[in-house]
Amino acid sequence: MPSLGAEFALALDGLSLLFGLIITGIGTLITIYAGYYFAPHEPTERGEAEGRFFLYLLLFMTAMLGTVLAADVITLFVFWEMTSITSFLLIAYKTSHAASREGAFKALFITGAGGIALLAGLLLASALSDSTDLSKIVHNGDALRASEWYHVMLLLIAFGAFTKSAQFPFHFWLPAAMSAPTPASAFLHSATMVKAGVYLLARLYPAFGSTATWFWMLSLIGMSTMLIGAVIGLRQTDLKALLAYSTISQLGALTMLTGQNTPIAFKALVIGILAHALYKGALFMIAGGVDHATGTRDLRQLGKLWRAMPLTFAVAAVAGLSMAGLPPLLGFLAKESLLTSLLEPTDATITQLVQPAASVLAGALMLTQAAIVSIDTFVTPPGAGFPACFNRPSTSKNHSQHKHHVHDLPLGMLLSPIILGALSLVITTLQPEVVATLLAQAASTTYGNKVKVSLELFHEINLPLVLSGVAIGVGAGLFAWRSQARAVLHHLMLSMDTLYNAILDALDVAAQRVTQLQNGRVRRYLFVMLVAMLVLVVAFGELPRLLSNHILTESLATALQGQITPTEVLRASAMTLAVAASLVSVIIRRDLLAILAFASSGLAVAVLIALEPSPDVALVQAIVDILSMVILVLALSRIPQHQRRQAEALNKHPSISNRYSALLAMGVSLVVFLLSWYALASRPRISVVTPFYERNAKPLTGSADIVGAIVVDFRGFDTLIEICVFGTAGVGVMTLLRLAMKKAEASRLTDSGESENNDLEERSRLTLSNKLSGIDGLRTSPFVRMVARAAMPLSLMLAFVQMVYGHDQPGDGFTAGVTVSLAVGLWYVVFGYERTKQQLAAFKPPLLIGIGVLIVLLSSTSPILFGQPFFSPYNFGEALHLPLPHGFDLTTSLLFELAICLVVLGSAIFILDTLGRPSHMEE
Amino acid sequence: MGDVVIILPFLLPIAGAAVGMLLRRWHRLRAGWSLVVLALACAVTATVFWQVAQSGQARTFQMGGWPSPFGITIVADALSVTMALMSQVVFVFGFVYALGAKDKAVHYETFHPLFLMLAAGLTGGMLTGDIFNLFVMIELVVISGTVLTAISDDRFGTEAAYKYFLISLIASFTLLFGIGSLYVSYGTLNMADLAQRISANPEQPLLPIALILLSITFMIKSAAVPFHFWQPDFHTASPTPVSAMLSSVVVKLGVYGFMRLTTLLAPSATWIKDLLIVTGIVGVIFGGLGALGTHNVKRMFAYSTLAQVGFIYIGVGWGTSLSLAAAVLFTINHAIIKSAMLMLSGYLASRAPVKTASFSVVRGVGRYAPLSGVLFFLGGMALAGLPPSNGFISKWALFWSGVVAATSGAIQDRWTYWLPLGLVGISSVITLVYVFRALMRIWWEPFEPPSPEEKVKPRGDSLLAPAGLVTLCVLLGLLGQPLTDWTQRVSEWMTQPGKYVQAVLQAEETHRRNFSVQP
Repeated sequence: MPSLGAEFALALDGLSLLFGLIITGIGTLITIYAGYYFAPHEPTERGEAEGRFFLYLLLFMTAMLGTVLAADVITLFVFWEMTSITSFLLIAYKTSHAASREGAFKALFITGAGGIALLAGLLLASALSDSTDLSKIVHNGDALRASEWYHVMLLLIAFGAFTKSAQFPFHFWLPAAMSAPTPASAFLHSATMVKAGVYLLARLYPAFGSTATWFWMLSLIGMSTMLIGAVIGLRQTDLKALLAYSTISQLGALTMLTGQNTPIAFKALVIGILAHALYKGALFMIAGGVDHATGTRDLRQLGKLWRAMPLTFAVAAVAGLSMAGLPPLLGFLAKESLLTSLLEPTDATITQLVQPAASVLAGALMLTQAAIVSIDTFVTPPGAGFPACFNRPSTSKNHSQHKHHVHDLPLGMLLSPIILGALSLVITTLQPEVVATLLAQAASTTYGNKVKVSLELFHEINLPLVLSGVAIGVGAGLFAWRSQARAVLHHLMLSMDTLYNAILDALDVAAQRVTQLQNGRVRRYLFVMLVAMLVLVVAFGELPRLLSNHILTESLATALQGQITPTEVLRASAMTLAVAASLVSVIIRRDLLAILAFASSGLAVAVLIALEPSPDVALVQAIVDILSMVILVLALSRIPQHQRRQAEALNKHPSISNRYSALLAMGVSLVVFLLSWYALASRPRISVVTPFYERNAKPLTGSADIVGAIVVDFRGFDTLIEICVFGTAGVGVMTLLRLAMKKAEASRLTDSGESENNDLEERSRLTLSNKLSGIDGLRTSPFVRMVARAAMPLSLMLAFVQMVYGHDQPGDGFTAGVTVSLAVGLWYVVFGYERTKQQLAAFKPPLLIGIGVLIVLLSSTSPILFGQPFFSPYNFGEALHLPLPHGFDLTTSLLFELAICLVVLGSAIFILDTLGRPSHMEE
Repeated sequence: MGDVVIILPFLLPIAGAAVGMLLRRWHRLRAGWSLVVLALACAVTATVFWQVAQSGQARTFQMGGWPSPFGITIVADALSVTMALMSQVVFVFGFVYALGAKDKAVHYETFHPLFLMLAAGLTGGMLTGDIFNLFVMIELVVISGTVLTAISDDRFGTEAAYKYFLISLIASFTLLFGIGSLYVSYGTLNMADLAQRISANPEQPLLPIALILLSITFMIKSAAVPFHFWQPDFHTASPTPVSAMLSSVVVKLGVYGFMRLTTLLAPSATWIKDLLIVTGIVGVIFGGLGALGTHNVKRMFAYSTLAQVGFIYIGVGWGTSLSLAAAVLFTINHAIIKSAMLMLSGYLASRAPVKTASFSVVRGVGRYAPLSGVLFFLGGMALAGLPPSNGFISKWALFWSGVVAATSGAIQDRWTYWLPLGLVGISSVITLVYVFRALMRIWWEPFEPPSPEEKVKPRGDSLLAPAGLVTLCVLLGLLGQPLTDWTQRVSEWMTQPGKYVQAVLQAEETHRRNFSVQP
C-alpha cells in the first residue's frame, strides 16, 4: 500500500527468530496434542466440528508469525489485530457457554481498545519518521525521544502492549480467556500471543527506550503485575485459572525487564521468554489432560492422581520444577538472571531494593503455585490445603462417573508436554551452543549492542543465588501453610472486573440516554431541528452585516416615498389576504375551514404573482392551489369523524409547548422575512443568465414566453425530473393506499370466513342500486350531470389549446393536466366512483405516467437522429416539411408538454381515484 | 454537445421505471427488465469512470446543447463519477437482494419502478453540475424514498416515512432558500460558474447565509446530529433492500454535497470545515452510543451510520489532501459494508419466527444460519475497522491523515486533529462492542423462543447479495491498493477546484452551438 506509505514487509532477525521458533515449535506440538484432545470422547456440539478449531489455530499461527516477522508497522498491526480476532474466536469456541462468550468478549474489548491505541501510536511514530518501515523508526530513536509527541506515542503504544500482554490493570481478561479449549490456552494465552506485547516493547526499545518515563512506567506496571498475578493466583481453585495468573505474573516480570537499560536485563528477558514458553506450555497441556481424564479442573476435587497417571505426573513434576525456578531447569536460570539484572538497576535509587524484593516474593509465590499444580493435583488427597471458607462444590455426577475410569493419557497427548519438559532440562544440562547463540542474538538485536548469554547453571555463590535460596525457602513455607494463606487471600478482594463492568455499564447507560432522545414525537424532532437551524443561521449567517446594509434602508425609504397606485392597493390587499388567511388556517380549529383558509391564501399569492406580472406562473399557482384543496378535502372525508373531533379538541387548549413552538415559529419566520426582504430589495439582481434567456427565447426556442422557454427548453431537464417526482408521488399514493388496503383486506378475508363475504355481497348490491347517485350515494340533479358531462370535453379542449399554444401564451402542459384532472374530479363527485371508473376506463394512471415519461425521453432523444444534441429543441414539422396550420408547431416542446400533461393527469387520477373510492369498498 | 453517455447512468433507470409502469401485470418480466436496466446503467457508469480515470479529464454534457451556465450541465469528474459508480454498484446488489427477498412490499407492482427512480435521483444528484438541478434530483430521492418506506411490511413504515417526508420538506426549504440566496447574489446556478464568481467576490452579504443553509440541508440529508431524528426510524422501518440503500449510499448525497461545498463552491469558508469537525465529533459519539443502546439489529446499523458519517465529516473537515482522500475512501467502503450488514439484518428478520430484527426475537436465530454468521463476522470486522478488511484501510487512512496533519500543522490548530482522533478511537471501541455483542447474541446464544411453537423459518431472503458485498469488503481489504491510489487522485482533483471549473467552462467554448444571438 505505497499510497499510504506502508507496504507488506517481513524481516527476520534474532528476536523474530526466537519468537518464530517458539511459535512454530510449540504450534506444531499443540497441533499434535489437539488432535488427541478433540478425539472421539469430547462431545462436540451441533455444527461445531473440530475442523473449525484447527482453522482458527492455523490462522492464529500465521498471524502470530506475521506479527513477529513484520518489518513494517502496518504489517505488524494487521497481524497483531488478527491474533486478537483469532483469539476471540478460540476463546468463544464453545459458543453455547455463556462463560465462553463473556470471556471472549472481554478479551476482544480490552485488546481491541489497545489495538486502536497502538495504531494511533504507530502512525504517530511513522509520521515523525516519514516511514512505516520498522527499522527506520527504530533508527530514528533520537528524534522520536526528542519529539514533543514522545509521551503521547509512548502511552499509546504501551497501552496497546499492556492490554495484549495482560498487564495490570488490564490483566483480567486473561483468566476469563481460560474458557478456551486447553490447546488454545496453552498456545495463545501462555506461550505466544500474550508475549506479543512484550515482543513489541522489546522491538521498540531502541526507538523509545532508555528514558526515565520508559523505565518507570514499565518497571512499575511490570512489577505490580508480577506481584498481583502471583498473589491472586494462589487463591484460584481452577487449575487453568491458577496457571493464567502465574502467566500474568511472569509477563509482569518480562515487562519489568524490558524497562531496564542494561544488557543483563535483556539476557534475562530472552531466557525468561523461552523458559516460560516451555514450562507453561507443558503445564497447560497437562492441565488439559487432567481435565480430559477426570472431567474436572477444580483443585479442590483433584488429588492423588499419580497412581492412575504416573507418566503425566512425571512430566508435571519436571515442568513444575522449572516453574518453581529450581535447578537444574531452565526456570532456575531465568530467575537467576532476573535477580541479577534487577540488582543492577538503571535507576539506582529505591528500585535497587524494591524490585529484587518484589521478585523474591513473586518467585516464592511462583514456587508455591508450581507445587500446587504438581503436588496437590497428583500427590495429596483431594481438598488438601483448602481452608473451610473455600466451599467445596458438591461432587457432580459427571465427575464421579469419570472417576472410575481415570487412566493415564494416551501417548499422543503426552508427547508434546514431554518434549517441552525435556527441553527445559536439556537446554541447561547439555548447554547446546546453538541455543545460547540464538538467545544471545535475540538479546543483542533487542538491546542494540552485544549481549552475552551463557547457559551455565552455576557460577559461584553470589547475591542472586542467595536471594534465589530465600525465595525457595519462603515458597516452600508458603506451600506448607497454603491453607492459611488462602484463607487470608479469600477475604482480599482485588478485582478489576468490577471496573470493567462499571465501564460497560456506564456505556450502556449513556447509550440508553441517547436512544431515549428518539422518542418518536415528530414535534420534538422538528423543534430541536428548527432551534438548531436558527442557532446556526444566527451564528454563521452574519446577520448584522445584512441588517446594516444600506439596501434595506433604501428600499424602505423608496417604499415610503412612493405614490399609491391602484395596482399597489390591489397588491397590498392581496398580500394582507394571503397573510391573514394563512394565519387563520393556523389558528382556526375546524379542519375543513382551515383548508379553505389555506387555499384562499394560495389564491391571494396567485394574484400577487399575476401582478408581478407573470401570468403564466400565476395560472399554475391558482390551478395547483385548487387541485390541492380538492385533494385535501377528499382526504379529510376519509378520516373518521371522531378522530377529527379529537384532533380539534386538542387544539382547543394550547399547552406550554405550543407557546414555545409559536415563539420558535416566529423566530424562524423573522429570519426568513429578513432574508426575503434583502433578496427582493437588492433587485435588480446581477443575473448572468436572464439576459441570455430574454434574448434567445424567441429566436432559438420559438417561444415568446421566457418562463415557458426556461421550463421546457433551457432548463427542460429540471422539468423532466420534476414530472418524475410528480409521477412517483402519484404512484406512491396509489401503492400506499390501494395495495396496503388490498393486503389488509386479504388478511381480513382469510381471517373471518363467510359472514364477511355475505356482508360484501350486500354492499355491492347497495352500490349497484346507487348507480345513478354521486359521491357517498348522494343524488345529483340532471343539470349538474349535464354540466359535468360538458366539462370533460371542454377541459380536454382547453388542455389541447394550452399545450399547443402554451409555448407562447400563458398555459402549459402542467396546467393542461391539472385542468383535465379537475374535470375528472368533478365526475367522481357527480357520478360516483363506480360509474366514473366505468366511463373513464381509458384513463389508466400507470399507463398515463409510463407513457408520459417515455414520450419525454423519446422526444428528447429524437434530436440525436437529426444530429442535434440530446434534449435540444427540434421542430419536426419544419424538418419534415409537414403542412401544418399557422401557429401550430410540431416540436419537441409540444411533445414535452403533452408528456407533462399525461403524467400530471395520471398522478392526479391516482390520487383522486384512491381518495374517491367509497369507504365501504376497501373495508 | 459533449458526452451523451454520461447522462445514461440516471436516464436509463428513469426510462426503465417508465417501461416498468407499463409492465405492471408481468411481475417476472418487470423484475428482469429492471435488473437489466440497472446493470446496464452500472456498466455505463463503470465505462465513464474508466474513461475519466484513464484520460484524467472531466467529461461534461450540456442538456439540450445550451451552453453553460445557461443550460444544465452534467459533469463526470473524478469525484462525481466515483460516487455515482459506488451508488450504482450498491444499487445493483440491492436489487438482487430485493429479487430474493420475502417481503410483501417487493412484490408490489410499483416496487421496481420506484426503486429505479431512487437510483436515478441519487446518481443524478451526484453527476449534476447545476445546483438547482441538484435540488430537483434530491426531490426525486425524497419522494421515492418516502414511498418505498411507506409501503414497507413493517407496521411503522408509514409513520417513519411521514416523519422523513416532513423533515425533508424543511431540507427542501433550506436548500431552495440557499439556492435562491446564491442566485440573488451571483445570478447563476451553474456550480462551476458559481465557484468562479464566489471566489472573485466573496463579500456578498447573502453568501454566508446561503452557505449555512446549504450546510443545514446537507446535514439533514446525511443525518448529522441534531438533524438526524428522521434517520433511525426511517432506516429501520423501510424494506430491507431499500434500507440497505438508504443507509449506505443515499445518505452519502449529503456527504457529497459537503465535499463539493468545501472544495468547489466555497473553499475559502473555513468555518464550514470547523462546523463539520464539530458535527462529526458529536455524530461519532452519539451514533456509537445510539447503536449500543438499541434493541434492534437494523436500528443498530442505522445508528451506526450516524457515527460512520461522522468519521467522513471529520475527514472532509480537516480538508487536507490526505484526509479528503481518506473521506472518499471511507465513503465508498462504508457504503459497501453498511449495505451488506443491513441485508444480513433483514435476512435474519426473514428467518425469525416473527418478522422483525429485534434482538429479543432474533436471539439465537443465527444458530440455524451459520453462513450468515460468517458473513456477519467478516462484515462486522470491516465495520469495526479490523484488518484485513476495507474498513480497516479506511480507518487507517483517516487516522494517518489526522496524524500527519497534527504532527506537521500549526500548534494552535492541533486540537482540531488530536481531539477528533481520540474520539474516533473511542468510537471505534464502541463499534467493536456493539458489532460483536450483536454477533454473540444472534449467532452464539441459544435459541429460546417464548413458546415452543415459534420456530426459525427454514428459508429466508437470499444471501447472494450480502455474500457478494462481503466478498467485496474482503477483496478491497486485501487488494486495497488501486482504490486507495484512486481516492488520492480524487483528492488531487478536489484540492484543485480550478480543474472542475475549467472543464465545465471549456466545454462551453467547444460545445457552443451556432447561436444566432450570442450571449
